[in-house]
Amino acid sequence: MRELEAIIAQYDQLKSADTGCILATVVHVEGSSYRRAGARMLIDEVGNITGAISGGCLEGDALRKALHALHQQKNKLITYDTSDEDDAVIGAQLGCNGIIQVLFEPLNFQDKFNACELFKNVISKNAAQAIIVQFNLNRTREQSGTTLIIDENSEVIGKKPKSELLQIFQKQAKLSLQTKRSQFAEFQNAEEIQHIFIQNYQPPVKLIIVGAGNDAQILAQQAELLGWEVTVTDGRPTHANEQRFSSSCQVIVSKPEQTLENIEIDERSCFVLMSHNYNYDLAVLKLLMKEDVIPYIGILGPLKKYERMQRDLENEGFEISEENYDKIYAPVGLEIGAETPAEIGLSILAEIQSVLTRTSAGNLREKSEPIHEKDENRFKTVVTSSCPDASGVSASHFD
Amino acid sequence: MSLKKKIYLDFNATTPVDNRVLETMLPYFTENFGNASSDHVFGWDANEAVEFAREQIGNLINAKATGITFTSGATEAANLALFGFCKANSSKGNHIISCETEHKAVLDTLKALEQQGFKVTYLEVDAEGNIDLKELEKAITSETILVSLMLANNETGLIHPMQEIEKIVHSKGSRLMSDITQAVGKIPVDLKELNLDIAIFSSHKLYGPKGVGAFYINKKNNIEIDPTVFGGGQEKGFRPGTLNVPGIVGFGKATELAKAEMEEGSIRISKLRNGLEKQLAELEEFQINSKNSNRLPNTTNISFQNIDGNLILRKLSNLAISRGSACTSNTINPSHVLKAMGLNDELALASFRLSLGRNTTQKDIDFAVEEIKSCVNQLKKVEV
Repeated sequence: MRELEAIIAQYDQLKSADTGCILATVVHVEGSSYRRAGARMLIDEVGNITGAISGGCLEGDALRKALHALHQQKNKLITYDTSDEDDAVIGAQLGCNGIIQVLFEPLNFQDKFNACELFKNVISKNAAQAIIVQFNLNRTREQSGTTLIIDENSEVIGKKPKSELLQIFQKQAKLSLQTKRSQFAEFQNAEEIQHIFIQNYQPPVKLIIVGAGNDAQILAQQAELLGWEVTVTDGRPTHANEQRFSSSCQVIVSKPEQTLENIEIDERSCFVLMSHNYNYDLAVLKLLMKEDVIPYIGILGPLKKYERMQRDLENEGFEISEENYDKIYAPVGLEIGAETPAEIGLSILAEIQSVLTRTSAGNLREKSEPIHEKDENRFKTVVTSSCPDASGVSASHFD
Repeated sequence: MSLKKKIYLDFNATTPVDNRVLETMLPYFTENFGNASSDHVFGWDANEAVEFAREQIGNLINAKATGITFTSGATEAANLALFGFCKANSSKGNHIISCETEHKAVLDTLKALEQQGFKVTYLEVDAEGNIDLKELEKAITSETILVSLMLANNETGLIHPMQEIEKIVHSKGSRLMSDITQAVGKIPVDLKELNLDIAIFSSHKLYGPKGVGAFYINKKNNIEIDPTVFGGGQEKGFRPGTLNVPGIVGFGKATELAKAEMEEGSIRISKLRNGLEKQLAELEEFQINSKNSNRLPNTTNISFQNIDGNLILRKLSNLAISRGSACTSNTINPSHVLKAMGLNDELALASFRLSLGRNTTQKDIDFAVEEIKSCVNQLKKVEV
């Protein structure tokens, strides 16, 4: 289960027991930190924690700050500076060198647009969305908190601000959805400065494992640990059944030609062909070649097998575009000396992760730059004229 | 006895607490009385207020709030910083440089350090109170662990060229501490720009309450300081003891107000001060000390030749002005600052500091001028 889902599940329990709770969100990080903006944890009134905002170093103080904010019933921004070696709060010297802004929001169960209620909408839509969190680096100012979600059609759910601000949010949300990256904006007008974290929410990765052998069992378990939605498909009911795969995993028995009939494909759907049956894999590959939206197709087996597949496809008159060839990873996986099914599973999942995030899958130690690009965290300044006669928005970006 | 109104012109000694500061403080005496170290709502409230004040103070002096340690005032800050620094750095050398015109809080602490074996060079000043930067440079040796020079002098208002001093001290590999007490709240003090290693200052000079001050340690410059007092670990162990939460809250509020109002206030006050000096300059056998140097906008230090200073002070009973600094005014020793500037004892004893503040009006100034003029004229007649 992913963090957000775990938080919602816990929230629902607390709500039904009428136990007060507060949400902590990392809304910005400057420099290094273990968890980035978007990490969250839910704290209940007796101090139980679901989720995490750090590797454990901040949780102790954050718990105290959370209970205090819960008592005050007030949103609050707290800055943790792990670059400060004797920060009283953190104590242990982490060598992290980051300035972490954490927003605390007491959750009002009567509020149908409180953060967790909004997250339920996010999850149920099962599509990429932008989560808008409004805060202010000047801690003395109002911290509005998680206010809105915006989908790819600029549809808005939540507490709508005045139209000037809403249009800016929609524009930033669009940018975030296009780039698939979270954005940070600093909104300024004559009266105020406000900071906005536009979180790029992506629904879980869908992993479709073609083949239900013992190695598929392991791969499915590993993918579920990552919070991915796993579907297993195979023609053999003796293999593709719920006894062999966990309940959260969708298991489909079908002929290869019908594989896609019960699967909804989108840009997060990754396929791994590992039926250990040449003709079965080939038949599914033919189907996949027609689906441009798929980002990743891995094929288990030696290069020879894949070359034979290519020949067979060409002989059958399949015209395969360059783009479609590009998404095929055969032999599947990263070269990490994987031998056992679990090791192979690891190499496959790591490859998919790197493909979806468009990263190189190299060693971090080879990087001369910090792991996270500095630019990612920069606040874009959005200035609006607050003249009443200004028609709509005059937003401009100073980058 | 004169029934005339008393005019306060001694804002460098202390300032009244601003009403807005007082209002902010009051709840922390009564309903929000928690101990900032307690792990419950009362403690959390107090702790939050303390950390908020730390940030307000950091904002005024453009310094990282986490580098600020609260003390009971600038004197304690000077003691903790100097003893703590020397303790932590004694293996690097045993020489300290300061100046003859420093405040007693620093000078007496240095004397105590001398008794512990540290050697201190006290730089001389010229007739205006300025140090010779070349002398400073010459005085720094490989043994010099610290240079301590005040930003603005409490008696004359003279401002040391701290940016140049900083360059010299750091280029020679030593460390720089500054007593910025008189400057904070009167002129812009930007610690990032000044790149000081240690700074000390206090609340009651800027319309905050007495009994609270701070020292700042620039962590970027890797300054090491050891604790010299011990207890419950408050203030990261550097100043243990239950925090003076109302005082700290007031200190914070006072710095917030200073940040918002200082610029405008300084212009007004410096106009009043300049007007005051202009009117007094009509007197004969009269001088303004440090007049030709960069000074605080609110301070004037004046000397009357050939008149008994004691008589002037008693005659000017409607004016709250001081001879020397407040800390030494119980004794009749001439000011060590003015003596260092070359004034003889007699003239130093006939020298007065008038320091203006937020509450000072043109009327006050006119009244003061009138009083001083008539007093001086009367005393001169007597002598003739």
